[in-house]
Amino acid sequence: MNTKVKEIMNIKLETIKPDASVYDAIEKLVDKRMRSLIVLPKNENDVYGVITVRDIVFKVIAKNLDPKKIKIEEIASKPVISIDKETELEHLIRLMEKFNIARVFVHEGKEIIGVVSLLDVLSASLVAKARSK
Amino acid sequence: MFDKIISSGKLEKKVIESIKIHLKTLCSAAECFRQAISSADKESTFCVAQLEREADTIRREIITTIHQGAFLPFIRPNICRFIEIVDEAFDTLEDAAFEFRYVNNELFKIIEPECSRIAKINSEMCEILSLAFEALIDKGDLKEKNLAIRICEKQIDDLKFDIIEKLRKIEIQNFWDGKIISDFVDYLTRLSDLLEDASDYLYIIEISLK
Repeated sequence: MNTKVKEIMNIKLETIKPDASVYDAIEKLVDKRMRSLIVLPKNENDVYGVITVRDIVFKVIAKNLDPKKIKIEEIASKPVISIDKETELEHLIRLMEKFNIARVFVHEGKEIIGVVSLLDVLSASLVAKARSK
Repeated sequence: MFDKIISSGKLEKKVIESIKIHLKTLCSAAECFRQAISSADKESTFCVAQLEREADTIRREIITTIHQGAFLPFIRPNICRFIEIVDEAFDTLEDAAFEFRYVNNELFKIIEPECSRIAKINSEMCEILSLAFEALIDKGDLKEKNLAIRICEKQIDDLKFDIIEKLRKIEIQNFWDGKIISDFVDYLTRLSDLLEDASDYLYIIEISLK
């Protein structure tokens, strides 16, 4: 399986400002049918972060906190774990296993251009197997 | 699997070989279309119409041979239906290629990444369908090919949703620009439904032979 992440990544990405509320993020995630949002850097010295459905459920909902009063930057994970678009799938799988993460962002230079989830990896491996005789 | 119904008949072997060529022609057409889309070269889409005409000739030969007595009568309708679905896939690909030639370039640019991705998945699906037919004949793992085709169809469904979401935000100034881009997306995404139907039919044929 010599597939590269750029061949299977999802290019649909949505961003959110760090000072937006968790409620804004929930609206965006529901409207766009997504599971994570890229958190934009606060300033030039800052880095990209990520907020996932998991973060919202465990850090806000489960603790009975008001999503309208919590800011994204309070619960977002930083820095975002990302890999180069030319990375091979085997390496991506090892990374996911090592960090116990379900999705990894893909970068080209300094720009984040896509995301690959565990389901994308599973689908790609099944399709690759079906394509081999 | 086909041992049960072929019985080393010449006509049956002729049909099977023709179906293999029919499916390989579909793969060529889908790959040619993919290259045209990713290079945004509208002129090179004419290869799809040319391959569709070749496929039409092959389809007629297959249907004629079946009506000359190839295969046991109970299996003939299923094989004919499979061939018809593949033929519908050719027609849909040809329609997509036709519409692509008239698509407004500015509108196409907006959805180009998704369309290129769909054309690539469509091409892969054709390849897997061809392998699925060979798996049916050679007693291979048809279920595995069938699952891969279903996965691809789902990916195209998601991409179609993204395209529609993008297009709905655009104000269309000219009726024909709107109609053509809408029809183009419709044909481009409908192909995967037909390929999935064809794959399901192969699975039905396999089940009916057990």
